[in-house]
Amino acid sequence: MIVPPYLKKGDTVGIVCPSGFLPAKKVTDGIQMLRSWGYQVRLGKTVGNQYHYFSGTDEERLADLQQMLDDPNIHAILCGRGGYGLSRIIDRISFRRFTKHPKWIIGFSDITVLHAHLYQRVGVASLHAPMLAAFSKKDLSSVFTLQKALAGKQLNHTCSPHTFNRVGTVSGPLIGGNLSLVAHLVGSRSALQTKGAILFLEDIGEYIYNIDRMLIQLKRSGIFNQLGGLVVGGFTDCKDTEIPFGSSAFEVIQHQIKEFDFPVCFDFPVSHDTANVALKHGMPYQLSITNKKVLLKAL
Amino acid sequence: MKRSAFISSLMATGVLSASSITAAAHATKRMPRKWKIPPHLKPGDAIGITCPSGFALEEDVAPAIQYLQSWGLSVVVGNTVGKKDHTFGGTDQERAEDFQNMINRSDLKAILCAHGGYGAVRIIDQLDFSPFKKYPKWVIGFSDITVFHSHLHAYVGVASLHAKMAEGFPSDPSKFEPVQFQALESIRKALFGEPLQYTVPAQVRNRTGEVNGILIGGNLKMIETLAATNSDIDTRDKIFFVEDVGEALYSIDRMFCNLQRSGKLSNLKALIVGSFTNIRPDDPKEPFGKTIYDIVWEQVKSYDYPVCFDFSVGHQKNNVALKCGVPHRLTVTETNAVLTEIQHP
Repeated sequence: MIVPPYLKKGDTVGIVCPSGFLPAKKVTDGIQMLRSWGYQVRLGKTVGNQYHYFSGTDEERLADLQQMLDDPNIHAILCGRGGYGLSRIIDRISFRRFTKHPKWIIGFSDITVLHAHLYQRVGVASLHAPMLAAFSKKDLSSVFTLQKALAGKQLNHTCSPHTFNRVGTVSGPLIGGNLSLVAHLVGSRSALQTKGAILFLEDIGEYIYNIDRMLIQLKRSGIFNQLGGLVVGGFTDCKDTEIPFGSSAFEVIQHQIKEFDFPVCFDFPVSHDTANVALKHGMPYQLSITNKKVLLKAL
Repeated sequence: MKRSAFISSLMATGVLSASSITAAAHATKRMPRKWKIPPHLKPGDAIGITCPSGFALEEDVAPAIQYLQSWGLSVVVGNTVGKKDHTFGGTDQERAEDFQNMINRSDLKAILCAHGGYGAVRIIDQLDFSPFKKYPKWVIGFSDITVFHSHLHAYVGVASLHAKMAEGFPSDPSKFEPVQFQALESIRKALFGEPLQYTVPAQVRNRTGEVNGILIGGNLKMIETLAATNSDIDTRDKIFFVEDVGEALYSIDRMFCNLQRSGKLSNLKALIVGSFTNIRPDDPKEPFGKTIYDIVWEQVKSYDYPVCFDFSVGHQKNNVALKCGVPHRLTVTETNAVLTEIQHP
């Protein structure tokens, strides 16, 4: 796994929107913050651009991302927002120049497609971390983890014990992201190979039955068979059917993995909510879960 | 078979052990290349009704029982009909046992699922289809039952019937629309072995052509979530049909990306697009901006096989019986599209 160079003062962060539309006014807080960290900011053409649901046509989004990937004067790429759209262009992106001058690609949600593809097909680490909406929130603690990650500072994350946790210690590459996207990628060339890995999952706005179905898909496609450990993040704003499914999202996950014995922690601060710490996707971590605490430590 | 004996037989064959581990082994198993066609039904034969997914009440299946009896069939109502475990037609254990019982009973010639919803993937790996090798029978349903069609196609090697379920037999025939009669009549014809042929009007976005191929498909969401499992269908050289209900356009687009990226669109004989009903409304501030026709066309424009839109399959009254795993001819012209079962290839 290639680790892109960490950023120095004066380096440039490019902002692009490879998926959904992001109004230009929502970028202001992010630009200010990045500048206050000592970085220059370059806005891609897709920021503020709109083509129906998307931040541009497939060609526009592809060209903008490609340009940022290829430009040696861009030192990191922050995706403006998720939504939907990367699956439409992922197979047309060229990573040839990028692998010669790798840089951190930052985002989550739909950006899970890019993280998985970088891990499986390109071999470059990336940053699962807050996007622009987070820079306008009151609680900036997760945004500051991104600041530290970009600067190359060691990041250890802890969270409170949860009654569903399964204790144990495991080391391995940390991979994952949004459950809907991880499931959607199964069967494609970007599908995650999870042998020995620490998998993290989060999601938003899904029906509980659909979370169950996606977990079964992961299970039946073998993703849990040789998994090192599982980090369950937030499942925000879950929906339920008229007749309730009868379990919570966490109960569904606990049920579907009960036949395995890898360590698991629940309610880790990775989510569509405020708690969404920066995680170096593809890099080795140690996950240690005891009855008293959970520690995810970069190795 | 008594329940205890039944469970121990499942344990003996290993199907109740950790399903995932067997699933991984199965995932590399070679897919069937020929699909055994179950014997067609004769008057006097028996058909079972069961709930492998969501629940159905006894009154929901009463019209179906009457209809099936009027066709000269005797009906065996499974234990799960009338059972309710939250949204399911019984616990996983109860639904698996009821379905397994219907698989095992040599007197049953067909299994009609009562309701879709959700739940088939929770039990599919627990079922032992080995009795189907000697005594294949028609499994009937759609929507969540796509799991069975896919599994029978990819793993077992037996043809099945994509059609309305027991709950879809309307209770008051005086209020039937002609298409509802046609849909029910198509099930009868399919089960009794009368040749099936469907004609739908031309759609301006269709791509013309004539092909022969094995028919397979079903609910798009289910086909996506079966990817890379032991129930994942190989669509190469097939006439492939899809339909869905209640999905947002972006989600339909993403699922078509999955079909494309998992190789399911690249070597088809033809694509049949059924109905996409009750599409979830877009956020008015950012409408998706593409129709179903646009979404499909973007994915198939680089190929040259025939494409037929607005076919009478899906979550709608006009949902005709389609034999999965059986050879068909599809003819798409400027005037119409005709799908014909090839009975003696």
